[in-house]
Amino acid sequence: MTKLNRREMGNSSEEDLAHRVLKDIKAPSDLGLLRCVQCGLCTSMCPASRHSEYDAREIIKRVLDNDESIIDDEIIWNCFYCYTCHSVCPVGNSVCEVNQILREMAIQKDVGKKQIESFMSFADSYLAEGLGIIPEEYHGQLKIDYGKHWENLQEQLQDIREDLGLESMYLLPEAKESVDKTLEAIGFKKRVQEIKDVRNRK
Amino acid sequence: MSEKNRIGVFLCHCGGNISDNVDLDYIEERLSENDEICSIKHHENLCSLEGRNIIKDQILRQDLDRVVISACSKITHGATFQKYIKPLNPYLFEMPNVREQCSWVTENKQESTDKALSLINSAVESVKYNEPLKKIPTSVKNSVLVIGAGISGITTANSLAKQGMEVTLIEKRPAVGGAMVQVGKVFTPDKMSEDCAACLLNPVIDEMVHNDNITLLTNTVLEKSTRNSGNFDVILRKKPDYVNPDKCTSCGKCTESCPTFAPDEWNEGLNDRKAIYKPFPQAVPSTYTLDDESCVKCGACLNVCPTNAINLDAIDEIISLTVGSVVIASGHQRFDTSKRPEYGHPFYEDVLSQMQLARLMGVNGPTHGHLQVPSTGKVPRRVVMIQCVGSRDQMPEGHKYCSKVCCMVALKNANLIHSHYPDTEVIICYTDIRTLGVYEKYYKYVQNNGIKFVRGRPGEIAREDDHMVVRVEDTLNRDKIEIPTDLVVLSAALESSEGTIEAAKTLGVPLTEDKFVKEKHPKMQPVSTDIEGIFVCGTAQGPKDITDSIIQANTAATKISELVNGGLEVEPFIATINVKKCILCGNCIENCRYQALTMYHNSIRVGPIACTGCGDCIVTCPEEAISIQGQSDEKLRASIAGLLKDKKEDEQVIIAFLDDIGNVSANNMGINRVDCPSSIRIINVPFINRVKYSHIKYALTHGADGVFLGEYPDTPKHNEIRENVNIMKKHLEEDGINPERLLIHSVFIPYFRGLANQFKEFDEELQILSK
Amino acid sequence: MEEIKKFIPTENITLFRSCLVSAEYPGVEASTKYVFDKLGVEYVIDRNQSCCTGLGHYYDIFDELSTTALAARNFAYAIKNNHKQYVPTCATCYAILKTAAKTLNEKDEVREQINQAFRDNGLEELQYTKGDIDARDDITHVVDVLYYLKDKIPENKKRELSSLKIATHHGCHYCKVHFDDTLCGYRNPEIIDKICEVMEVPTVEWYDQKPRHCGGGFRQRYANRELSLDATEDKFLSLHKEKVDLLLVMCPNCQVQFDRYEQVLEERTGDRHYFAILNIAQLVALYMGADPYKVLGIQTHTVNVELILDKLGIEYDPKEDTLHVREE
Repeated sequence: MTKLNRREMGNSSEEDLAHRVLKDIKAPSDLGLLRCVQCGLCTSMCPASRHSEYDAREIIKRVLDNDESIIDDEIIWNCFYCYTCHSVCPVGNSVCEVNQILREMAIQKDVGKKQIESFMSFADSYLAEGLGIIPEEYHGQLKIDYGKHWENLQEQLQDIREDLGLESMYLLPEAKESVDKTLEAIGFKKRVQEIKDVRNRK
Repeated sequence: MSEKNRIGVFLCHCGGNISDNVDLDYIEERLSENDEICSIKHHENLCSLEGRNIIKDQILRQDLDRVVISACSKITHGATFQKYIKPLNPYLFEMPNVREQCSWVTENKQESTDKALSLINSAVESVKYNEPLKKIPTSVKNSVLVIGAGISGITTANSLAKQGMEVTLIEKRPAVGGAMVQVGKVFTPDKMSEDCAACLLNPVIDEMVHNDNITLLTNTVLEKSTRNSGNFDVILRKKPDYVNPDKCTSCGKCTESCPTFAPDEWNEGLNDRKAIYKPFPQAVPSTYTLDDESCVKCGACLNVCPTNAINLDAIDEIISLTVGSVVIASGHQRFDTSKRPEYGHPFYEDVLSQMQLARLMGVNGPTHGHLQVPSTGKVPRRVVMIQCVGSRDQMPEGHKYCSKVCCMVALKNANLIHSHYPDTEVIICYTDIRTLGVYEKYYKYVQNNGIKFVRGRPGEIAREDDHMVVRVEDTLNRDKIEIPTDLVVLSAALESSEGTIEAAKTLGVPLTEDKFVKEKHPKMQPVSTDIEGIFVCGTAQGPKDITDSIIQANTAATKISELVNGGLEVEPFIATINVKKCILCGNCIENCRYQALTMYHNSIRVGPIACTGCGDCIVTCPEEAISIQGQSDEKLRASIAGLLKDKKEDEQVIIAFLDDIGNVSANNMGINRVDCPSSIRIINVPFINRVKYSHIKYALTHGADGVFLGEYPDTPKHNEIRENVNIMKKHLEEDGINPERLLIHSVFIPYFRGLANQFKEFDEELQILSK
Repeated sequence: MEEIKKFIPTENITLFRSCLVSAEYPGVEASTKYVFDKLGVEYVIDRNQSCCTGLGHYYDIFDELSTTALAARNFAYAIKNNHKQYVPTCATCYAILKTAAKTLNEKDEVREQINQAFRDNGLEELQYTKGDIDARDDITHVVDVLYYLKDKIPENKKRELSSLKIATHHGCHYCKVHFDDTLCGYRNPEIIDKICEVMEVPTVEWYDQKPRHCGGGFRQRYANRELSLDATEDKFLSLHKEKVDLLLVMCPNCQVQFDRYEQVLEERTGDRHYFAILNIAQLVALYMGADPYKVLGIQTHTVNVELILDKLGIEYDPKEDTLHVREE
């Protein structure tokens, strides 16, 4: 027999998942999360919903149901961050931004850190140069997909930029220094270390 | 005021309600020190017949010229005492509210007595400025302009005409009937049937055409309107009569000869019509008409017209008219679905709106009632309807509201398809089906007939080979589906029509945030507007169905009848303008949201029906030429002076100016015996803007510790009032007065406890400030 | 022309550099400079500017606070440099900077937290004052500027491009994140089409999935390759159906997805139809006579653009391309 869920009274709280999402630094002040009527418009326009088990509408349903297990659920990592749902939601909700908040909640736990550890070369590059890169962890597959041309490009990039009359793409030394200080000041370095610790513990 | 007044003061005990908590003997003693008070009498219940005799007796015996009745609220017994003071003029009395606003809300008897004395003093001082006034008899012109000849406008016109009023009914389009004449079929809930709309509408149109009290002007719009002492001087513009209606025999030869095509509005652009045409076979008026935007003036029609009815050089006609009332019945338009391009308008020709579907199914439509897929001409195998297109959608260009009728429209059209083409499957994609009341039965009926429903709001439509697909999630089973279909029908939102927005603009009537005509009160006065004499009905006021439109149309007619036939007398508290001071700058006219003031020759006139006596105009006048009859600045100042007259050294006094809503809220405090600080002394003003800076400064420099303004915030002037208070606070600072001593707060009738708390907090703050 | 409800700068501009443009399609930067010079736009490039964090932000590596602090740092340099009009070439930079400006202006506690961190670490000069940067008016995309100046584009016409069949793909992070600030619609985005219109280059009015995503999806391209390619495939097949010669984009990330993966997708679907991919700034530069290698930088494209040049009769020297492996 199916288990009957009983909802006890007096459990409504400002600390439930939906309210925690609304209070997050990422949540716009007028986010329509609580106004969702589960119309499914988001799902029917969403690339991740079209091609995977991910269901944009259901993400919101689970948040509104205070289903904490969604934070550990791999499905939240399927969102493309394309903001289509965000731009069409009739009640001004944004599954895309709710997903970003859920992922950050996951990152606060080890489960999320594991999801992003393979992108850490981006952080390293940023710390070193103040610039973003395509994550080196994936270069193997990319070389297959993109072919020899792309490898040549990596090697000859500086020459090509010069041919195009472009300045160096790298930051000035003193600018790098102030980026580095900013990342220290805001706690980003600590964050990177914590993520790497999880990787190294394996 | 050089002559001394002879004032009588009557102190009601109210069966102990007042006297138990107010020392009336002490009050009498103190009042007797005032040599303008010639008579002071107590009574157990002044509102009794005995009380009446005492008052009358004293007026006659003591030759009183003014009366103060210290008792309960004016709202409860004002009208009673207005009669009791006969033979005095009924406006020569004041009623300090010693019960609700003093004895019932003050615990300490000594404080209560001090407060009562202060309230009575205030009434004594203020009554000196009362003038003998008369109610103003008014009359409203027996003629009405109705804008829009759809079902709402025609219904109002018929009702008004039958009540003997002269109606001018104008319609922007060449034929009457509005949306109802286009829809083809309407749904009748008790019969579970779809009925012929024209058959229901035609008798109503006939009645309008044959009523001599109605002048119908098609191709006509309202161009200008000015208020003229209660009436409206309007200017109408009628498009040129290229086809003379008296000569035209409707033979149709002109249309045959015309070489120019334009999209046929009547059929929602599904086909083309000629530039000279008859909108539809049953059109009223039945004359042919010429669309001068597409006509190339080639003259082909001139050559074939057997009656020489056509004149291509005709010019438009300007009509000027004076009417007593105006009804806005200019209806709605449908959401432009190209604003939601993901649904395929205008890229795919097999995507239709519900109205286009109605035309396709109409026997007088482009296919003579045959449902055909536009691209193939075949009967569709499947039709998918999409609900809420542009409704319940807060994204740019969408509408937050529910359009109210689309669920019914979809059910009706789905059922029509089902009954004529049983092999065609119909699927309705919905978020919620809203079939209120008996309509729910029709919903069940349609379900029983096999119409299918998918609970989900579709994301997009795509073209695939010989058909389209609708992408939607069936949210009830989490199924992401693509529904192949031959035809897609969009239930587009109802929105305010361009004509409605224009008419409101021309008439100076405010619109809601959704751009519909704003009613005076959305619940209590649903057909009145802020401007007395202008009414609204039908979908110009908001989305609604035919039945609701008719109900509202008849209500609007009744409201006009009240104005015209009611033998109206209005309270004399209206603005008056000192013609010697007035420089005709027009600021007050501009400012008045009731359009009560109008420029007439070389003076400004006040419309007694429109003017509410709010006094908002007073502050706008650079010459101080405006006053409210019986509510002069001096009187207001005297009220303040009276309140502060016998103020004790250690006593804290807060003067609370409350508007009518605030005053009722304060009375509720008393009725519910909620404690209120004794420092609070209420002066009821018609509108918060009536209180000038000079009054506030006077109060704060003559003994008042604080001034409280209680404002009902749900008025268009709210922001302006708040801004004014900020300016006044700055003035106070400049004048060396602590601006914290002035406070404005919102008031609502049921929130009297909140008001009491607000009073308490302010009282405590001021105590701290004074230390 | 539709009413433009935001300020669009033509001077005091810092051309905000994008990591993907710099490393993958540097010709987009060169083309933008080329076009801006021709149109008389006054701008600088500032090597003090760091990456917006965009890719890392959407890989979830960067948290909101760090991204916002780095934006505050960049804003401080732009203001100090008297070129506070940020004009990015990348849709994600555009969205990230706008969001950061909004957060800094609207969320007092976040701004204070960041300023405090600056003060505590000797970075006082980076502090942000509410209103320093207007999220709507001070951050505009290159296409906004091109659209604003579109009537001046034909004055610089050097080449006839009207024989191409073109479809447009508008960046999601330009259109959809701050949709209130998007010019020419976002449900059916048309800003690139309108720029093409002045060059008399016809574009496909609508195709299935036109406003849909490129499929890159940040982490998805790398960590979830199949899902990412599934989404891209939708768009590819629809474009194949329309038989376009050229797809125009406005964001380097979309450009990577369409250009680097075209061969992968052809193999995956077996559906072959050549089309080239250009950024709109590259097309405008081409229209104005720019050199395909020295300005457009087409040698960095995986999909050869030379076939388009052939079709247009534009001469070029293939030896200038040292990247493509050619079968001799």
